[in-house]
Amino acid sequence: MEMPRLEDDQLDATFTALADPTRRAIVARLARGDATVNELAAPFDMTLPGVSKHLKMLERCGLISRTRRAQFRPCHLERAALDAAVDWIEEHRRVWMERFDKLDEHLRDIQRAPSTRKESP
Amino acid sequence: MTDQTSERGELSYTRVFDAPRALVFRCMIEPEHLTHFWGPIGVRTPVESIKVDARPGGVFEAVMVSEGDGSQYLMRAVYVEVVAPDRLVWTEPDTGVTTTSTFLDLGDARTEVHIRQTNVPEAFRSPQARAGFSTSLDRFAAYLGKLTGEASR
Repeated sequence: MEMPRLEDDQLDATFTALADPTRRAIVARLARGDATVNELAAPFDMTLPGVSKHLKMLERCGLISRTRRAQFRPCHLERAALDAAVDWIEEHRRVWMERFDKLDEHLRDIQRAPSTRKESP
Repeated sequence: MTDQTSERGELSYTRVFDAPRALVFRCMIEPEHLTHFWGPIGVRTPVESIKVDARPGGVFEAVMVSEGDGSQYLMRAVYVEVVAPDRLVWTEPDTGVTTTSTFLDLGDARTEVHIRQTNVPEAFRSPQARAGFSTSLDRFAAYLGKLTGEASR
C-alpha cells in the first residue's frame, strides 16, 4: 500500500545525518562526483578527523559509500538512500492533498443534504 | 500567504474550505466524519477503527486499509493540544512528526485550514540544501520548488 510506511531505521538515520549543514554540504559536493576526504575537507574550516566523523555518519546510514581498496578511499553518494527520504516526504504531502480533496467533498455533501447527515452521539 | 516552509524548517499545507469553522473542526475530531476523508485515494479508514480522545494526552488512532490489496497501516498519534475550534496538535510517536492544524474563520462560511508538520528533517526544506544540489538531483530541487509553491498558495 502506498502509505508513508518507512524503512524506519534507515530513514531516521538519513534524516539525522542530513540535519547537519556540514553533512548536507558534503552530500551536495558528492552529487557532483566522487571526492576524497581531503577534497571534501577543503571548503570547510575543519580538521580531517572532524570531516571523517561526518563521513562515518553518512556512511553508516548508507548515504555514501567508500571504496575499501583505493588508497585515498574516494567517497561516493548513494542516490537511492537520498531518494528514499525524498519519497517519504513526497508521500506525506500527497496524503494531505488527497485528504483535503476528500474533506472538501465531504463538507459539500453534509452541507448539501443535512437530513442524511450522521450526527455524533 | 508567504512561504514559510523553508524559513521555519517545516512542511506545511493550506486549503480553504467552503464550510464554517466549527464544522470543519468537528470533521477533524469525529470518527463519523474522519472515516469519509482520512485515507488518501485508494485507502479506506473504517469508522470502527478510528479512536479519538480529543484532549491533551488522548489518543488519535486510525487503521487505514488499502482498497487494492487490503494491507493495513495503523496511524497512532497522541493529542498535545485541543483548542476548539482553533487549533489541534498531535504527535506520532512512531515517526516523531508533530502535526499542528489551525482553523481560521475567513467569514462567508469559509475556513482556512493550515497543517504544519514539524520534526521532519531539516535537510529537505533548507535553502542551503536547495542551492547545493547539482542538476543531477533535479527531482529533489523540483520537489522543493513544488513544496514552496504549495505553501505560498
